[in-house]
Amino acid sequence: MNKTNLFVSGTEGDKGIVLGNEAIARGALEAGIGYASMYPGTPASEIIAVLDKNKKKIENLYTEFSLNEHISLHGAIGASWSGIRSLCAMKNVGLNVASEPAQFLSYTGVKAGLVVAIGSDPGAPSSSNEQDDRWYSLHTYMPIIEPSNIQEAKDFTKNAFDISEAFSFGIILMAPSRLCHNAGRLYFGSLRGRSDIKGNFKKDPENYLNLFNMAVKNHAKYLKRNEMLKNFLITSDFNKIINSSSSKIGFISSGVIYAHLMESLDILGIYDHKILKLGFTFPIPNELIKNFFKGLEKVVIIEEAEGFLEFQIKKIAYETGFRGEIHGKDFFKQAGELTLDDVIAGTAKFLEKPPPVFFDLALKKNKELLNKDKMPQRSGTFCVGCPHRATFYSILKAVGYSNTEAKERDVVIAGDIGCYTLGLLPPYNAMDFLTCMNAGLGIGQAISIFDKSKKVIALVGDSTFFHSGIPVLLNAVQNNADILYIILDNSWTAMTGHQKTPSTREDIDGTPSANTLNLKDLVKSLGVEYIKSIDPNSVKRFASLIKSALKEPGVKVIIAKRECVLQEIRRDRLLGKNKGSLHEIEGSLYEIQKSRCVKCDECFVELGCPAIILKKDAEEKGEYYYIDPVSCVKCGVCHEVCPNSAIRKVEFNLNSKFKLKQKINI
Amino acid sequence: MKKFNIAIVGLGGQGIITMGTVMKNAALSSDLLDVSGSERRGGAQREGYVETFVKYIFYENESELKDPRKNMHSPMIEAGGADVLISLEPLETLRGACYLNANSTVIFNRTPHIPISVRMGQSSYPDISFIDLELRKITEKIFSYDFDKICTDNFNSLTQRNIIALGGLFAKTDMPIESSAIEAILSEGKGASDNLKAFDLGLKL
Repeated sequence: MNKTNLFVSGTEGDKGIVLGNEAIARGALEAGIGYASMYPGTPASEIIAVLDKNKKKIENLYTEFSLNEHISLHGAIGASWSGIRSLCAMKNVGLNVASEPAQFLSYTGVKAGLVVAIGSDPGAPSSSNEQDDRWYSLHTYMPIIEPSNIQEAKDFTKNAFDISEAFSFGIILMAPSRLCHNAGRLYFGSLRGRSDIKGNFKKDPENYLNLFNMAVKNHAKYLKRNEMLKNFLITSDFNKIINSSSSKIGFISSGVIYAHLMESLDILGIYDHKILKLGFTFPIPNELIKNFFKGLEKVVIIEEAEGFLEFQIKKIAYETGFRGEIHGKDFFKQAGELTLDDVIAGTAKFLEKPPPVFFDLALKKNKELLNKDKMPQRSGTFCVGCPHRATFYSILKAVGYSNTEAKERDVVIAGDIGCYTLGLLPPYNAMDFLTCMNAGLGIGQAISIFDKSKKVIALVGDSTFFHSGIPVLLNAVQNNADILYIILDNSWTAMTGHQKTPSTREDIDGTPSANTLNLKDLVKSLGVEYIKSIDPNSVKRFASLIKSALKEPGVKVIIAKRECVLQEIRRDRLLGKNKGSLHEIEGSLYEIQKSRCVKCDECFVELGCPAIILKKDAEEKGEYYYIDPVSCVKCGVCHEVCPNSAIRKVEFNLNSKFKLKQKINI
Repeated sequence: MKKFNIAIVGLGGQGIITMGTVMKNAALSSDLLDVSGSERRGGAQREGYVETFVKYIFYENESELKDPRKNMHSPMIEAGGADVLISLEPLETLRGACYLNANSTVIFNRTPHIPISVRMGQSSYPDISFIDLELRKITEKIFSYDFDKICTDNFNSLTQRNIIALGGLFAKTDMPIESSAIEAILSEGKGASDNLKAFDLGLKL
């Protein structure tokens, strides 16, 4: 099956295996969007990526990877006001950046439908917090829809555009990573015609101008529209009650947690309680809850995080005079991902029914296994050949820090968001704090002012720098901070699947970028006097450059410039250059000469390249380090770091007329 | 309604997600067969833990398909809820063992991939016999192979390792879908001839 074509041209009756994020994008496409934008962020990235990838095959579709979420949402608003249905996607923390446009969107309203799809990340496997963005709507008044599965992800998104237009709200579509990255069957729907998608901005000063009493008027207007939406939601299909004639117990849930709940009840063999599925989790009409409460004595609300639904429903219960018990966060945890297991265990506890034996046994066994010291932790690390590895190695060498010696590092290293965030993990442990985008330099600047006894190094990637780092750097310059700022410029927003940045020089197919920014010139124009550019893989030069930069006063910038190795390899492969393949006739490889290697751990632990592995020596019964030629991408950094010259580069040509004495075993 | 739950675990870059996608695409024949399952993509390409679930749901009839108490399914597999666990890394098999019950089948790769904590000497990699032993305490149906070796011996690369394991899955379990459906998907994809050969190698395990 060719999924890509189905995404573009599939219609009523077609089905395919689709990712939750792609289902959201497809729903928007069926609704006839003409604008789609985002600043990339896991778990939401594929929503816009799939539209961007296919845009040449889709009539009248504009896509944009904006420099940040603030810009991205404003773009969607501009498109909407021009009469174009627009989709803006972001990860949960993106709404912090876009919160300002979000605050104004209800005031002004929309023209064509506007949907903001947010990928939340409970458990934070790909994020720096677990924030539940639903709480924003208590003050932005943006309505929230929560699909539970892949089919609803598409259907709800499609319908959200109509609701957006009917009530003049931008609609938030919440999707946790478990939905964004749920892959499964989707039934496609019909596509709205695309030939008449054409912008026409009509002035609407009554709605679009917010100042003084005009803003007050708009405030009153959206409160009224919110009441109208509530009315609509009393009977709308988005919210569903599964009735029960006998039970006095009720369950309320939404989104993926509702899916966990239904599976839990099936596993527990319970089919007789009343259930409310909320498709809209803001606003919630009192009348709907009142109807649901009828005949119930005990209600439990099952949801992720701190209890956004519980907060609203307890208020409604008070206003509607419900006298029964309301439970929620007393049975279901607030921190960490609420998994299927948590919902099974919490539901069983609430119903005072034991969970199945197989379930308890498996949990017990798991606890026992994880308690044993025999389970070493596994943490992510940089890809083989990643230039960031060389950067962290260079920084640690420059500041005299070693992984193998227990020694306090006295240089403060300010972290930031991107692939290089992995540098905070072992073996590098090279970050002292990490919060949000561009916090590194901002916080680091103040530390440099107040603690003169320590040198401060702040790190940032190119995409993060362009996102919101430019004013932070300018601020540091204007206020005479004493800090070394290293921009790890790998030319891509790599962590989220390689979207372009202003630094991208060449696309994956070899096409040169039309408007590549000169980062050095930009930094210079901000007033930075000390700017150096270096290839991070030249680790010895890089380390000595850092050492000397730390001695200079003021703001120092080093641009560590080397393209993401994955992109380099992909391009080479695409253009038939065959780099990194074992099948090549002519080429090179790196190898560790056993006789010279003294196992000093410089390559294995300090550099920590995963292509260097420990092998058992059959004859000598010892162990030795070995460069796995299947994983090695020949970046050559290990060759440079080896203090004993035990790592050598071997160049070979299998067509050569000079015969090798010994066969090289690769 | 019958369910068949498969948990696939391993490391970023091993093709775990691809395995799940192939298995799901092979199950589009009937409206009464639903398939889904979430992917944990966090460590993709960066050797962190990756897992993906394939949940086949077989509905008895149309009315079950329309029953809201039956037709909504979690994207996750519950503790002890896997019919099969496939693991492409020995240690990660133990981390995926939470999905096992006494009737589950385990297929795992015997080639270890050493975590950084072990590199740094902070912990040691368990003996493979310890992994065997712990798994045997849960279920008898355990099949393990050196998939890395089988793959490099046959293809001089590790790319097809996941597809060999996929063949192994069909060889050693009562998969509720036909292996020919997998072959049909593989034959349409990239590297079809190598993948079909790899799948066949797995089927013969």
